[in-house]
Amino acid sequence: MRIEELEYHAPSSLDEACRLLGSLGPKAKVLAGGTDLLVDIKQGALDAGHLVSLAKVPGLKGIEREDGGLRIGPMATPNQLAGSDLVRETFPALAEAAGQMAGTQIRNLATLGGNLCSAVPSADLPPCLLTVEAELILAAPGERRTLPLKEFFLGPRRTALAHGEILAAIRVPALPPATGTAYEKFQLRNASALAVVGAAARLTLKGGTIEKAIVAIGACAPTPLVIESAAALLKGKEPSAPEFARAGELAASDVRPISDIRGSEGYRRDLAAVLTVRALRRCLARIRP
Amino acid sequence: MTMFQTITLNVNGDDHTLGVKPNETLQDLLRVRLGLTGTKKGCAVGVCGSCTILLDGEPVNSCMVLAVAADGRKVVTVEGLALGGRLHPLQASFIHHGAIQCGYCTPGMLLTAKALIDKDPDPSDDDIKKAFGGNLCRCTGYVKIIEAVRGWKEFIPEDKRLPFLADPLRSESPPETRSPGSVVGRSCARKDAPDKATGRAKYTGDIQLPGMLHGKLLHSPVAHALIKSIDTIEAAKLPGVRAVITGRDVSDVLYGVSPARYDEHVLAKDKVRYVGDEIAAVAAVDETTAARAVDLIRVEFSELPAVFTVEDAVKEGAPVIHDKYPNNVNVTVDHEFGDVEEGLREADLVMEARFTGNRTYQAPIEPHASLARWETNGRLTLWSSTQVPHYVQYQLARVLGLSMSDIRVIRPAVGGGFGGKAETSPLDFCAAYLARATGRPVMMKYDRNEMFLHGRGRHKQYIDLKIGVKKDGAITAVEQTAHLDGGAYTSFGIVAAYYSGAMVPTLYKLPRYKYTGRRVYTNLPACGAFRGHGCPQPRFAFESLLSMIAEKLGIDDFDIRLRNAMTPDTVTANQLSVNSCEFKATLEKAREASGWRRKKGHLPPGRGIGVGCGGFVSGAGYPIYRSDFPHSNAVIRVLEDGKAATLFIAAAEIGQGSDTALCQIAADELGVAYEDILMADCDSDISPLDLGSYSSRVTLMAGNAVKMAASRVKERLLAAAGGKLGIAPERLSARGRRIFAKDDPGRSMPWDEAARDAFSQAGPVVGTGFYKPPKLGGSHKGATVGTSPAYSFGTIVAEVEVDLETGKVKVLECTDYHDSGRIINPSGCHGQVHGAVVMSIGETLIESVEFDRKGAPANASLHEYLIPTSMEAPAIRSEFVESFEPCGPFGAKEVGEGCTLPVIGALANAIHDATGVRFTEMPITPESILAGLKAKAAKVPGAAQPH
Repeated sequence: MRIEELEYHAPSSLDEACRLLGSLGPKAKVLAGGTDLLVDIKQGALDAGHLVSLAKVPGLKGIEREDGGLRIGPMATPNQLAGSDLVRETFPALAEAAGQMAGTQIRNLATLGGNLCSAVPSADLPPCLLTVEAELILAAPGERRTLPLKEFFLGPRRTALAHGEILAAIRVPALPPATGTAYEKFQLRNASALAVVGAAARLTLKGGTIEKAIVAIGACAPTPLVIESAAALLKGKEPSAPEFARAGELAASDVRPISDIRGSEGYRRDLAAVLTVRALRRCLARIRP
Repeated sequence: MTMFQTITLNVNGDDHTLGVKPNETLQDLLRVRLGLTGTKKGCAVGVCGSCTILLDGEPVNSCMVLAVAADGRKVVTVEGLALGGRLHPLQASFIHHGAIQCGYCTPGMLLTAKALIDKDPDPSDDDIKKAFGGNLCRCTGYVKIIEAVRGWKEFIPEDKRLPFLADPLRSESPPETRSPGSVVGRSCARKDAPDKATGRAKYTGDIQLPGMLHGKLLHSPVAHALIKSIDTIEAAKLPGVRAVITGRDVSDVLYGVSPARYDEHVLAKDKVRYVGDEIAAVAAVDETTAARAVDLIRVEFSELPAVFTVEDAVKEGAPVIHDKYPNNVNVTVDHEFGDVEEGLREADLVMEARFTGNRTYQAPIEPHASLARWETNGRLTLWSSTQVPHYVQYQLARVLGLSMSDIRVIRPAVGGGFGGKAETSPLDFCAAYLARATGRPVMMKYDRNEMFLHGRGRHKQYIDLKIGVKKDGAITAVEQTAHLDGGAYTSFGIVAAYYSGAMVPTLYKLPRYKYTGRRVYTNLPACGAFRGHGCPQPRFAFESLLSMIAEKLGIDDFDIRLRNAMTPDTVTANQLSVNSCEFKATLEKAREASGWRRKKGHLPPGRGIGVGCGGFVSGAGYPIYRSDFPHSNAVIRVLEDGKAATLFIAAAEIGQGSDTALCQIAADELGVAYEDILMADCDSDISPLDLGSYSSRVTLMAGNAVKMAASRVKERLLAAAGGKLGIAPERLSARGRRIFAKDDPGRSMPWDEAARDAFSQAGPVVGTGFYKPPKLGGSHKGATVGTSPAYSFGTIVAEVEVDLETGKVKVLECTDYHDSGRIINPSGCHGQVHGAVVMSIGETLIESVEFDRKGAPANASLHEYLIPTSMEAPAIRSEFVESFEPCGPFGAKEVGEGCTLPVIGALANAIHDATGVRFTEMPITPESILAGLKAKAAKVPGAAQPH
C-alpha cells in the first residue's frame, strides 16, 4: 500500500495535456478525480510514472444544454450530476445513478470522465449513457473526433482511447418527447458498494406504442452491454407488463456474466431480468406519471 | 528523481507554504507534516471515510487527494471545527447524544455532517443517512450519530455564542441538588468524548516520536511450505533501511493465548502455515522505504500440500500443519451432563439440523498499531492499540526473556477492538525487536489487508444440533456437535471451542446436555475471539431450531421460550451459577413492545417478524494464564485541595465507554460529582494490573475494584469528618460533595474540606481496591470456560422486508430488551445495543471472508468485505429490564457482547416468516434467499430444509 515516486503535471490546456500524455510514454496516466487511479496505484495494480492532471484544464467541468441535449464536461463529479436540475429534468437516470455511487466524499472527487475511461464493467454511469446513445468527443493535439459511446468500451479497463487521447466532452443528444429513463442498481449494501448488476433503460413512446427502447446492463459482461434483442422486441409494441417481462428474459439470456465474490453467473442473470423490468416500468411511469 | 513542488494551502484558516513530493497524499501531509492527526487513516483507499476533510467546503477523502493537487485550496479538518476555543454545535451535539464511542470515525462523521448542515440546516433522517453512506462506523450502529445531527441546532446557544471547549462536562446540574446515588444510572457524557470530537485524542498510529522509524512485515505468499532460505541482502542495502530481521533473530519461545497451546513464533522459523504467515520485518526511515525493502527480500520455499476446509483437514493422510497434532485436531471437547440418550427417548419430538456459520472479521475502523522504544535504563516502552495491555506485557516478557517490570505498556485511545485486539500481535513483538536492533523508536501498523490476515476473526462453525421436547415444548435434552475451522494457529481457539458448547445451557433450562467440540487446524489465517466469542453461531442454531420446533408443535415462539427460560438462582446443567436473571421479563416486554401478537402470521408476503434470545458472561471466571492475581485493581487518589480525585486503572477503554462507567462508579461511591473524577492514562507503570477488555468483564470486575478503592478513600474522609463534627464515622455518609450524619443530614461539612483535613492529618488520601472472582464452576475438564460471576439475558424482535424478486433483505425495525443488571450509564448501554444490532445485521446478511483456491483471502479490503453503513441501520428500540446482580457493582452486569447474541437468530426467524424458507447457512445472502425461494416454488424435496 504505497504510491511510488512519480511526476505530476498540471497542463493548462487540453492540447498540452494530450501532448504531454503522448510524449511521456505508457506509464503516463490521466489524473481526473483519482478515486480509481490512486486506489490502483496504492494497491500495486498500476505502475504510473507520470500523472497528467486535468484540474487546470479549462472547460472540462460544465453541464450545459446543447442542441436540445446535454454537453457534459468529463470533470463533472457525480454529486454535480446528481444535483443538476438540468440533468434531473432531461436525463433522470444519470442523476439517480450518479447519486447512488460510492459515498458522499467519493462523489465529490470522482468524475464522469473517469467513470467512463476506467472502463470498469460494474460502473454505474456507462449503462445510462448507452441508453441515450451518447457520443464522446475525444481530443488529440489539435484534433477532435466524435465516437459513439457504444464503440468506446473494448473490454475490462480497455477503451478506444488512442495513446495520447483524452476524453474532452460527453454529448447527450436531444431526447424526443415522451421519453423516460431510469437506472436500477443492485448492490449488496446500500452505499459505498459496487453494482452486482446495474440496469439502465430508456423508453420513447409515440402514439401509444414504443418508438424506441434501449436497455443497457452493467457488471454482466466484460463491458456494459446494450441488449439489442430487447430493443427489437419492444419496438412498435404497446408498453405492458408481459412485454417488459419478455424484455427482462432477453436481458437475462443475452448477458455474459461471470461468477465472483459479489454474485454467481446465474444470480446475475436473474437480477438482469428483474432490474430490466423495474427500469422499464419506471421509464414508463416517468412518461405517464 | 522526484522533485519537490511548492504548494500553498490554507488549513483551518492558517496559510501554509510547503514543499511536497508528488506522491504524497493530502492525508499524510495533514497527519505527518502538520500533525493534524484528527484526520484518521482507516483504509487509505477511499472507503472508510475516517480521513474526511472539507476541501473548499465539500467533504472528500483526503487519502484520495494528492497534496500537489490541493495547491491553492482551502482545507478544514476536525481541528478546525472548534475555533476560538469554542465547540461547534455539532461537536457539542455528538458529545451530548453519546454519538461517540471509539471515536475513530468521529472526525470524518463531523465533517460530513458539517457539509450537510451548511447546505441544509434541517436535513431529514433520510438525508442524514444518505450523507453518511461513505463514513463507516463499527461501534454505534449509527443511531446516535443520526440523532446528534438531527438535534444539532439545540446546541446553538440563544446568545449565538457557542459553548467553550471545556464546557460539555461542566454543564450538568449542581451535584448538591441531585437525588441520592444519582451518578450511577445517569447518562453522563463520556470522559473521552470532547477529545475525540476535536481531534485531540491520540491513537497509537497518531503518535510521532523524534527519530521514529517505520516497520513493515513480510508475509508468506503461500499457504503451506518449508522455508529453504531467506535472502535479505538486497533489502538491507536499500537506502533508508535500518534493520531487517527474520526468524533467526527472534526468540525460540512460542507464544499464543492459552498456555496449553502456545504455537506461534514471532517470525517463522522453518515453516509457514497460511498466506500471510509472518516471515521477516524491516525498519526504515519511512513507510514507503520499509515496504519497498520488504519486496526485496527473497524467500525460497518448498511448498507442501495445504488444506482449506475442516473436512479436508481431518481426512486420513491429510497434510499435517503442526507436528504435535497429527490429525490436525487442535482442541477436543467431550461433555455430557446427564443421560442425553434417555432424555431424547423421553421426548415427544426430536428435531435436528445442521447449521453453518461464517468467517467474519471485527474490522474496527482503527487498524492495529504498535510503537516501541527502548529506554536508556534497559526497559521497553510499548504503545499499543490493544484491548489487553496486561497480556501484551506478559507475552512480551515471556518471549523477550524480560521481567514484566522491564516492560511498560501504554494504551492510548483505541479505535475499536471487538476481540481483534485481544491478543499480542506480531506488531508488538516486531516493533520491540526492531527498536532494539536500531536504537530508535519503531512504529508498526497493519494496513487493511493485513487486518484480515492477522486480525483473528470469528471461527466458522459447523453445528449439528438436536433438541428433544415434550408436547408442551419443555426441553428434555440437547445434543450439539460443533466443528470449528481454526485456521493455522490456536490463538483463542481453546476458549472458542469450549464456549461454543458451554454457553448453550445458560439461556434455557436443559435437563440433559451433551456437547462435542472439535477445533481443527487449516492452512487459513488463524481465528480468535470476536464479540460473543464462540457463541453467536451456536445461538443462531439454537434459536432457529427452537422456532422450527415451535412451528411443528403449533406453539408460539415466545411461549416455547418462556416455557424453558432460565430463572434466577439456578445452577445450569454444566454447573454454571446464574444469580440475577430477568430473562422472562425481557421476553414478555419484547413481545408486547414489538406488536408481536398483532404481526406474527399477519404480515403481507415478503414481510416477516422473528424473535431471538441470548446473553453472555460478565467477565470470565478465570484468567487466561494461571495466576492468583486479582483480575482488576484500582487506585484512587484525592487531589490535595479535595476538589477532584484521579482514578488509576488499567482497564482497557477501547470505545465501549468503560472509563466513563468506572468514573461514575467512583463518583457515586465517593459521594462526589461525576465531573470530579479524573481518569489517569492507561499505563502499566502508573496503574495496577487489570486483565483488559474481553469477555465483557470491565463493568463488573473493574467496577468492583473501583468501588472498593472509593470506599476505602471514603473511610479516611469519614474518619476526618467524624473528628471535626464529633460524630462516629459509621454514622456518616457522603453524597453530593458533602459529608453528613445519616440520621441528621443537617450536621454536615463539605467533602473537599474533609479531604483536606484527611490529607493534613495523614498524608496522601489514596484508596486501593481489587476484584477477584469467587471460585466458580464444576470440576470436569474445561469447567472454567463459561464461568462468570454473572450472566446477562436478552430478547430481540426483528422485522424484515424481503424483496422476493432479488432476495434482498431490509431490516425495518428491531426491539431489544436486555437484562444487564443495574444500568450504570443508559446512553452508553443503549449505544452498545445499537452497535451490536447493526454489526450482527452485517454478520447475518453480508459479511464473510472467502478464500481463493490457494488460500489467499479474496475480499480482504473494505471495498470487498462489506460492513454495514448508515443505510443498513434499522430503527432500533432498545430498553433494559433492570435486575440487581449481587456480584456486580451497584448491581450491574455486562452489555457489550450479550446484545450481539440474540440478533442472528431473530433475523433468521424473521426471514423465515417473510419467505417461508428456513435458512441454516450464514451469511443469509440475497442470492441464497432467491435460491431458497426458487427451490420452494419448484417444491424440490429437501431444498433448504433441515436434514
